[in-house]
Amino acid sequence: MPSSSNDALARRMRVAGLNGIMLAPAFSLVAVFVLVPAVITLIGSFFTFGITSSAWKWAGISNYIRAFSDPIFWVSLKNNFIIIFGSIVTQVGIGTIMATILDRGIKHGATVYRTIIFMPVVVSYVAVSLIWMMIYDPNVGSLNVIVKAIGLTPPRLGWLGDPNISIWMVLITAAWANVGFQMVLILAGLQSIPKQLYEAAALDGAKGMKAFWYITLPGIRNILIVAVLITTIGALKVFDFIFVMTGGGPANATQVLGTYIYLQAFNLGNMGYADAISIILLVIALILGVAQLKLSRRG
Amino acid sequence: MPSLQISNLEKHYGDFHALKSTSLEIEEGEFVVMVGPSGCGKSTLLRSIAGLETVTSGKIFIKGRDVTHREPFERGVAMVFQNYALYPHMTVGQNMGFNMKIAGRPKAEIVEAVDRAARILRITEHLEKFPKALSGGQKQRVAIGRAITRSPDVFLFDEPLSNLDAALRTQMRVELGRLHAELGTTMVYVTHDQVEAMTMANRIVVMRDGIIEQTGSPLDLYNQPTNIFVAGFLGSPRMNFLAGKIDSVTADQVSLTIDGSTQVLSVPAEDLKHAVSPGAPIRLGFRPEAALTGEGDGLVLPLRARVVESLGRETLIYGDAGDIQSIESESQDGMFALHQPRQLRVTHDDRLDVTVPTDAIYLFDSEGQTLRFARLAS
Amino acid sequence: MKRFRIVSVGLHLVVSLWSLFVLLPVIWMVLAGFRTRAEIFTDPLGLPRSFSFDAFERAWNTGIAGFIVNSIFVTLISVAIIILVSSIAAYVLARTESRVLKILYILIVASFAVPSQSVLVPLYQIISAAGLLNSLFAIILPYAAYGIPFTIVLFYAFFLEFPRELEEAARLDGCSRLQVITRVVVPLSGSAIASAAIFQAVFIWNEFLLALLLLTDSRIKTLPLGMLNLRGQFSSDWPAVMAGVSIVTLPMLILFILAQRYFVRSLAGLGK
Repeated sequence: MPSSSNDALARRMRVAGLNGIMLAPAFSLVAVFVLVPAVITLIGSFFTFGITSSAWKWAGISNYIRAFSDPIFWVSLKNNFIIIFGSIVTQVGIGTIMATILDRGIKHGATVYRTIIFMPVVVSYVAVSLIWMMIYDPNVGSLNVIVKAIGLTPPRLGWLGDPNISIWMVLITAAWANVGFQMVLILAGLQSIPKQLYEAAALDGAKGMKAFWYITLPGIRNILIVAVLITTIGALKVFDFIFVMTGGGPANATQVLGTYIYLQAFNLGNMGYADAISIILLVIALILGVAQLKLSRRG
Repeated sequence: MPSLQISNLEKHYGDFHALKSTSLEIEEGEFVVMVGPSGCGKSTLLRSIAGLETVTSGKIFIKGRDVTHREPFERGVAMVFQNYALYPHMTVGQNMGFNMKIAGRPKAEIVEAVDRAARILRITEHLEKFPKALSGGQKQRVAIGRAITRSPDVFLFDEPLSNLDAALRTQMRVELGRLHAELGTTMVYVTHDQVEAMTMANRIVVMRDGIIEQTGSPLDLYNQPTNIFVAGFLGSPRMNFLAGKIDSVTADQVSLTIDGSTQVLSVPAEDLKHAVSPGAPIRLGFRPEAALTGEGDGLVLPLRARVVESLGRETLIYGDAGDIQSIESESQDGMFALHQPRQLRVTHDDRLDVTVPTDAIYLFDSEGQTLRFARLAS
Repeated sequence: MKRFRIVSVGLHLVVSLWSLFVLLPVIWMVLAGFRTRAEIFTDPLGLPRSFSFDAFERAWNTGIAGFIVNSIFVTLISVAIIILVSSIAAYVLARTESRVLKILYILIVASFAVPSQSVLVPLYQIISAAGLLNSLFAIILPYAAYGIPFTIVLFYAFFLEFPRELEEAARLDGCSRLQVITRVVVPLSGSAIASAAIFQAVFIWNEFLLALLLLTDSRIKTLPLGMLNLRGQFSSDWPAVMAGVSIVTLPMLILFILAQRYFVRSLAGLGK
């Protein structure tokens, strides 16, 4: 055998070995804390077990059947979708409006406005929740005072205590916290549209709303898809706001999948059942992830 | 011992066969330019020499050492890239001395080598600057300087001038020629620009589809192209081609006719590299500068001027000869290119009869191989 | 011209209104911290009558200093791990032609879609089985693991666009593969690294769910848990709760305003 092919082989082995060493830390962390737990969740969803009991009892698909006949599961799922669509409308919608105005609508003060509107992004959701809990509080809250001042009656059970409106109050809080992020994301997209395009459109007679419709929107189409998907996935994973502000109440009216999993697993000790709901959540998240890949590739 | 020897190099990228058993020997001190259309394998060959591509099979020797599977820096080569590839976070001096620093050379030695290279390239006053503060030409000098400090056995250039404007390119061509004379090192230069090839090379290597079509001195290739591809590739505007066929063959004369023309041309049979039979399709070719204005002996083309480029000391005319069409012309429109080394008062649509002397006509067989070289006055 | 003026005023009005909507709760949070319990009950919207730091003192005594130290520690270490291992891995993945590694990359992208909620149960079991429950590493390792996929995707895109010629030049200059990374690639990746680091730092600093699950000992709690703690301790003492939230939030806001260009650039870069 000529030595040069040994050389070539040795060189390839060296590269492969180094690749392995360089990938190992990242991949093993992801494997141990994300991939393996996901698989264990899947397995666990076919058993019944509790925090304290180490005995796993085979349950077949009964955990899944239980979920589909559990009204609170359906309420949670419905709430997740309310928050998903509500967040898209409020966060991406208001974010787009703010970004468009800051990009081309006003000449002065854009940086100041941007700083203020973005500010809540660095505040933790727990802090945001506490601030808004005080605002919504029936005794010390400012919302009641304002509503009374304009001659309306605040809800008798409180803004977060009324099961018919509490989920919408959470939505307002989430919008307060997240609009800034969407705005900055979309603003970056707007700023990457070449100015000449607007000049060319102006020569063709498109200004104002027409320019927005024919130049701006197509120009940020991809960014908008990203914004909608970030919002969707964020809303699917919503936990902090609900856990802190309502704890899923009143009477499970604001329960979402995230809080319901936590409740079942760690308060009620139904870990197998929690695993089954986790897998349903995971499947929805994966479908959305694939949608994200597909949509962003097309662009 | 050749400075660089390549034998039976093969390179596959998946299904794409980039180099097909390529072999080449380059002598010490030669300036070899590899040209060819994009995708012809010239860059792959250069990068294989540098060690930036692994080859499928075959061998590369530099000064007799087998470097086929050596790391790039072990090969004794330096490379200048098309877009300079200067490290933006290092000053000019640091860029030029980086290879020596990595090799662990003493500081004084690095400074000396950098200063010497900077002097040769006249960039001493820029040593403290960062690359972004330099113009394109200066950046390319730094890239060359970086190659010089490596004191390589072989310099490799990958289209180094294609990012520069026309004036700078001319200037850098001259400088590279001077540098080669000064250093006397073997240089291998890849370009798609046949002007660079003609002006700088000791030897040109013309490649197509992973195959070396011909190697030789610029004038040899220009005057005696081995096939219609090389004939068409070198020279700007390129050679004019016409389709025709062999009319009759006698012991000492071969007559041929040209599509679209009633004229019959005769060339001495001894010129032909191999025998032909009547009726065989052939191609004729003539250089734009070989055509003479006015009528005379040879191929007569009744041209009507379509585009006239008056450059002062020379005139380029693109003309239409009615039924007689050129084939494979640059503009693909059947027009003929004409080059006259003087001023001509011709305007659009003027009638201009030209004659191509029989001695200036190349013939190619149906395979595209050269059948007859033009007999040149020189 | 006149119509243009009206439109311009209208647009200013729209952004001003939202800005006000964003600002008022923050202002109100700070003011509430200076008020007394009685004041806030009788006149929820009023200004504090005197600037008393009592509520701040009550909040501070819940151990906020310790939570801050824990949060800083957890954030710094997690972000450092994420950046280090993700950048190296992303570089290898972006440069490889190996099919196996390409599949590995797809696996990492897929793990990005796994919500932490869906692995709560096994995560808790793994951490407690490893005896790491109530140690700060219990939270650092999962934080790192959850930050890595996204950071790898980010760096992967960056490295794909990184000029190859620079790396080739470095290899010709005698750099080993590791030296190519440390001497050429890393020094030129400052913007990508800053972007990823800021994003992960904001996320980890504010992360609540995993902390809630894995940190129960009050000595090792991070700030989000610490703030929830305030609510538990002072159920109707809103001045103390708001004082505590102010202590935690205001430094972050000031840091953001000072470095907002980097924050905005970091997050804006995510959409690309």
